[in-house]
Amino acid sequence: MRAVVIGAGRIGCGLATEALERGGYEVTIVARDPAIVAHLNLHLQFRVRLVEGSRSDERAVEVRRALRSTDIPAVAEAIAQADVVAVSVGVESLGAIAHLIAAGLKERTAAPLNVIAYENAADACERLRDAVLRHLPDEFPLDRHGFSSAVIERAVSRRVGALNDARPVCFVGDPSDAVHVDGRGLRAPLPGIPGMVFADDLSATFERKLFVFSAGHATTAYLGYLKGYRYIHAAIRDPEIREAVLEAMREGQRGLESIHGEGTGGGEDRLGVILRRFENAALNDPVTRVGRDPGRKLGAHERLIGAATLAERGGVRTAVLPLAAAAALCFAAGDPSGASPLAVDLARSGPGGALREFAALDPDGGLCQRVTDAFRRFGLTWRDDSPLLRLTEETAETPSGEAPA
Amino acid sequence: MLMMRSPSSKTSPLMPEVVSTLEVWGAEVDVLYPDEMLTCLGNLIPEHDLYVLKSGSEIALSVAGALDAAGATILNPHRVAAACRDKVIATRVLAAAGVPVPETYVTGHAGELAGLIDEGPLVVKPYRGTNGQGVHVVWDADQLDDLASSGGLLFAQRYHKPEGRDRKIYVIGGQVFGVKRVWPARSYEEKLGEPFTITDEVREIALRCGEAFGIEMYGLDIILSDGCPYVVDISSFPGFKGVPQAALRLADYIYAVAQRVLDGEPAVEALRADGKTPAEEATR
Repeated sequence: MRAVVIGAGRIGCGLATEALERGGYEVTIVARDPAIVAHLNLHLQFRVRLVEGSRSDERAVEVRRALRSTDIPAVAEAIAQADVVAVSVGVESLGAIAHLIAAGLKERTAAPLNVIAYENAADACERLRDAVLRHLPDEFPLDRHGFSSAVIERAVSRRVGALNDARPVCFVGDPSDAVHVDGRGLRAPLPGIPGMVFADDLSATFERKLFVFSAGHATTAYLGYLKGYRYIHAAIRDPEIREAVLEAMREGQRGLESIHGEGTGGGEDRLGVILRRFENAALNDPVTRVGRDPGRKLGAHERLIGAATLAERGGVRTAVLPLAAAAALCFAAGDPSGASPLAVDLARSGPGGALREFAALDPDGGLCQRVTDAFRRFGLTWRDDSPLLRLTEETAETPSGEAPA
Repeated sequence: MLMMRSPSSKTSPLMPEVVSTLEVWGAEVDVLYPDEMLTCLGNLIPEHDLYVLKSGSEIALSVAGALDAAGATILNPHRVAAACRDKVIATRVLAAAGVPVPETYVTGHAGELAGLIDEGPLVVKPYRGTNGQGVHVVWDADQLDDLASSGGLLFAQRYHKPEGRDRKIYVIGGQVFGVKRVWPARSYEEKLGEPFTITDEVREIALRCGEAFGIEMYGLDIILSDGCPYVVDISSFPGFKGVPQAALRLADYIYAVAQRVLDGEPAVEALRADGKTPAEEATR
């Protein structure tokens, strides 16, 4: 069995290739960066270290070869002969690799091909499929081939080692290998990849991951940032943050259950499992990595505002999700370059304007008001070199340097 | 961790919490008490990725210096810790960096201070003292006769009447915290004091102190007098009492520093490109 993985980043190598190779596939990796291509072709392997608490398992993952994405004929040939293609390049870059898949499909004479977008985005497969279609003739039978998005549970936090090192690089992640895919979107024969779960309703799985796990992760990162912590595993040990993260995830769960029915949120046990993953220091996950791109993460359908909007639609009032969204605005404001679109909009239009632009929130709505109120309250005392002491009450600054008694 | 055992009456949970938190995160931590150990200098080789110099004892500083010479990475760097321990050097480094410090004088003869007292009282303290011990406010030249010099050296600063409680400023990884405290603090609760939000001016002064020494973790004593702040002491590893979640924050910072060391980067981000700190230049 052969597989092609497009994208040699943390998920492409640390999850997709690792699971495919474990499942008996010979994997060809396609990457844009010539340095990683040369590195992989030199070693024909990389390492994956899966860590949880004091347990750590490291192994070599062998690859058949690596190809540059500019080598279209070779990539097309590999895809034409592959049993499955995994894509992990970032949602915004799907269009930039679609021509490779189209070229492979045009050469393909074998059985249908299944393409899985490891992007943790519900609409990734539609975006990829539409982009591929634009590179194919009108009469091309694309429906023969399967496309699916994927909901990924593994966190792969970093790559250790330099590409010019004598030793293969190592990707560090947690042991979870569950990847939920849309069984209806794929074509027989279905790929046999360890950890793959065929879901009937991938959007529900995706929503639960986004509005519970990702909401909690983002809350840990943004509140951790405000309180001055460097790592997720440190921030989650702060009792105030821990309680807020739990409550943010509960708000997400209550929202899901208010719309989709009891049990759809995952229950309290699930929250304990998630917290233990956030506590996993071996992942070494900085709050700045988890919090990056706050403009996207504050999107109307994203982990904080999306979860809060769903909850409010179901009659569930939210308190912590708006607090986390306000902290995300602070995160954007604290960007030293001040150059991100959200930071620029925040400086120009204030929090209400930025939330209207990035989160599609009505500035007069209750949710927007709660976020802007929290943002202004944080702004009384927080600075990036002067952490917030408490989430709930602030001490006001006085000219003498003392807080009021 | 290079530590000094505290008397039971002064036991703080800070460092045990830091150590246990780092261990939970997978770090292997050895706690060493240089004052209680027999250290063979001929065999002294760095065995750890990072040494954290908590103790300010003479033996700990010297052992840290020996480890530094043998190539160990030490937090804070040994030479900075030694410079902070010596108020003469520390005050000069701070003053040279534009940090507001009281007028400061050093002499071997108490009589030399007499002329200064005509212009106002002086605070005389041991130049290697800690915890406010041996601090005297000298209002009158007659009091000079009673002063015992420390190692033949008298360290004197112009007295500025402080407003309100003592202000301790703590910096962990470049983040600034303020704690107000009564002096002298009689109980552990009084030592914990009360966190307060500092002004932009004090924050800027605090960060400038760190830049002067090239460190990101330290403590300052600041007095406010007639609305003007003066830095009167710096410690390279204070107790951080009163900083919310101090142990967790320290563990978070030390973990990040250790990670930088493992990644082959400078332990302290604030170090200059040539690896030297302004304090190291000053102590050459």
